[in-house]
Amino acid sequence: MRNILKITIALAFIFTLSSCWGDKTKPNYQYMPDMYKSVGYETYSPNPNYANGLTSQTPIEGTIARGQVPYDYENTNEGYEAAKLDSKNPLKVNDTNLENGKKMYNIYCISCHGKTGAGDGTLVKRDKFLGVPNYKDRDVTEGSIHYVIMHGRNMMGSHASQLTSKERWQVTMYVQQLRAELLK
Amino acid sequence: MSSHYEAPIRRPLIVGNKSYHDITVEVAAPVEGKANKLWWTVFTIALLAFLWGVGSIMYTIGTGIGVWGLNKTVGWAWDITNFVWWVGIGHAGTLISAVLLLFRQKWRMGINRSAEAMTIFSVVQAGLFPVIHMGRVWNAHFVLPIPNQFGTLWTNFNSPLLWDVFAISTYLSVSLVFWWTGLLPDFAMLRDRAVKPFQKKIYSLLSFGWTGRAKDWQRFEEVSLVLAGLATPLVLSVHTIVSFDFATSVIPGWHTTIFPPYFVAGAVFSGFAMVNTLLIIMRKVSNLEAYITKQHIELMNIVIMITGSIVGCAYITELFIAWYSGVEYEQYAFLNRATGPYWWAYLLMMSCNVFSPQFMWSKKLRQSITFSFIISIVVNIGMWFERFVIIVTSLHRDYLPSSWTMFSPTFVDIGIYVGTIGFFFVLFLLYARTFPVIAQAEVKSILKASGESYKLFRDAGGKNPAPAKIVKSVKPTKEIIKNTSEQKNVLLGSLGAFDKATQTADDLKLISGVGPKLEGILNNIGIYSFDQVSKMTDKEYDLLDSLLDSFKGRAKRDDWAGQAKNLKK
Repeated sequence: MRNILKITIALAFIFTLSSCWGDKTKPNYQYMPDMYKSVGYETYSPNPNYANGLTSQTPIEGTIARGQVPYDYENTNEGYEAAKLDSKNPLKVNDTNLENGKKMYNIYCISCHGKTGAGDGTLVKRDKFLGVPNYKDRDVTEGSIHYVIMHGRNMMGSHASQLTSKERWQVTMYVQQLRAELLK
Repeated sequence: MSSHYEAPIRRPLIVGNKSYHDITVEVAAPVEGKANKLWWTVFTIALLAFLWGVGSIMYTIGTGIGVWGLNKTVGWAWDITNFVWWVGIGHAGTLISAVLLLFRQKWRMGINRSAEAMTIFSVVQAGLFPVIHMGRVWNAHFVLPIPNQFGTLWTNFNSPLLWDVFAISTYLSVSLVFWWTGLLPDFAMLRDRAVKPFQKKIYSLLSFGWTGRAKDWQRFEEVSLVLAGLATPLVLSVHTIVSFDFATSVIPGWHTTIFPPYFVAGAVFSGFAMVNTLLIIMRKVSNLEAYITKQHIELMNIVIMITGSIVGCAYITELFIAWYSGVEYEQYAFLNRATGPYWWAYLLMMSCNVFSPQFMWSKKLRQSITFSFIISIVVNIGMWFERFVIIVTSLHRDYLPSSWTMFSPTFVDIGIYVGTIGFFFVLFLLYARTFPVIAQAEVKSILKASGESYKLFRDAGGKNPAPAKIVKSVKPTKEIIKNTSEQKNVLLGSLGAFDKATQTADDLKLISGVGPKLEGILNNIGIYSFDQVSKMTDKEYDLLDSLLDSFKGRAKRDDWAGQAKNLKK
């Protein structure tokens, strides 16, 4: 009897241990996954109902969502010049805006443009690519800075999908501050 | 003996001129004998009902609770009705074995074993319902407060449904232990009587090496008393907790302080009725009329009468309070019971529970076994409807008339209920054939105090000689044997004669295919020993067949000679 007990304990121990060496490249076993999988389509989940297989479909061209304002300057040299002259920052210059502008700058811009905007970001220092200008070398206005964040220019791509409209103007405000520092 | 005083007014609890050995033999007989056709028939029916219930349960779990007749308003109906009904039935067993032990009622000795078995088996049925009525049975373990990976997500101890879990599981385990300790001396008796090695092995395991020393008995008595002391508050609290499922709610018709004692009284009421139903049958089919006497049945009828009257009182109290309370919801709840769409259920419950036990005031009726049997079934029907009425009529019409609805069960509801009845009888029938259905050790302890012959002896001033043992013999069955003494002599000539003076007869019933009747026939021919049977060859089989009217060819088919050879060793 005692041996049977020992064998049982040993088997139970091995059985428990066996959970440690499952296949780590696959998701683990589940016990009755009642509501583990979504019945509705989640944003980034595949969707067999569309030709491109995506749940997140692009909106129809020309529609305007509530709370959004379309950006009217086209992605051309003329658009750039027009924005440089006419586009104005709707936000007031204050600490809150500058602070958030700095925060966003340090996330999205710092790797190329550098901490001070001198074109000496980490990627430039490591020679990953070259040709990032110093802010003081370019004649830019708040309209043109915002335009470039919005559409990109030359090697720089558009950052419209990363930043909201408000954040773009806040970054613009912060870039102007950096430029003023550099020009001193 | 003469120093013993027992009031002469007491009637004997063991009828007939029984000795200790008679008790042993008669209690062991159903276990040691073979099941007859009736048993197999009833067992098959019960098994089919059980399997039907298993199918219904699997269908429910596989498909969903929606296959039942429940709806959004009536979320509890047959499931909890049956649960409370089975738990209630289970209460009589513990009451008989514990409460009556505390009150030193000797008449419990004859019935406690089967009553406890009934408890165990009906609590098992009851235990099914809290599980299968869950929407997600597979998460049932979450009712237990087990440390887990959800930041040790715990149970809320405020719900009576959780108390139910503890109540029922404790109740089942304590009842089981209580029952089993009582069984030890009786299993030891079966172990010591067992002839076949398999039975010997089984009963050796079951009896836990009981040897019946004085110290063992002393402790046995203490344990029984302690367990009885524990089981009594348990039996009261378990059904109280079950009643809290309703009494703690805010539903008019449920929210009552009378429920805890009223449910317990109802439980004892229906439980004793079930014991009566079962024992009236059992005393007949297992030939235990000497131990489960008319007096036992009468006393159970009295308990039924008393608890039935308590239940009746509770009904009247409820009605009075409903009127007295001035709460229109409460008043409507009772008006709805009496005159609403379920008036027939209320009427059934009232007539079965309030009126039927009142017949027991008549001595003639309560001593009638047939009448007791009918009333015992009527009571259980009534008690089922009591639970149904309380649950369904309170739910289907309550505060908001916009959520008033009706309830009707589906075949799955009914199938599960029928299945639990089948399962109960499967267990009880198996028990009746493998367990000592009467606590022989306890019955033996009252034999000299309450045995009929001993009482007569005492009543006569101890003048009569001690009751002589009546030697029982197998009734000779002559009619089947043909009058062919010549063939008999030829048969005995080759098998060898049996001398009763020098040899002892073997128990020929141990040969598979030989029953008590056939044994008598063989004995009449002059065959008494395995030695004689083992000498049989084809010639002797033919001779035997020519002597027998029925049973032809059976001896050869079952290879009696080969069996006897093995048994001889």
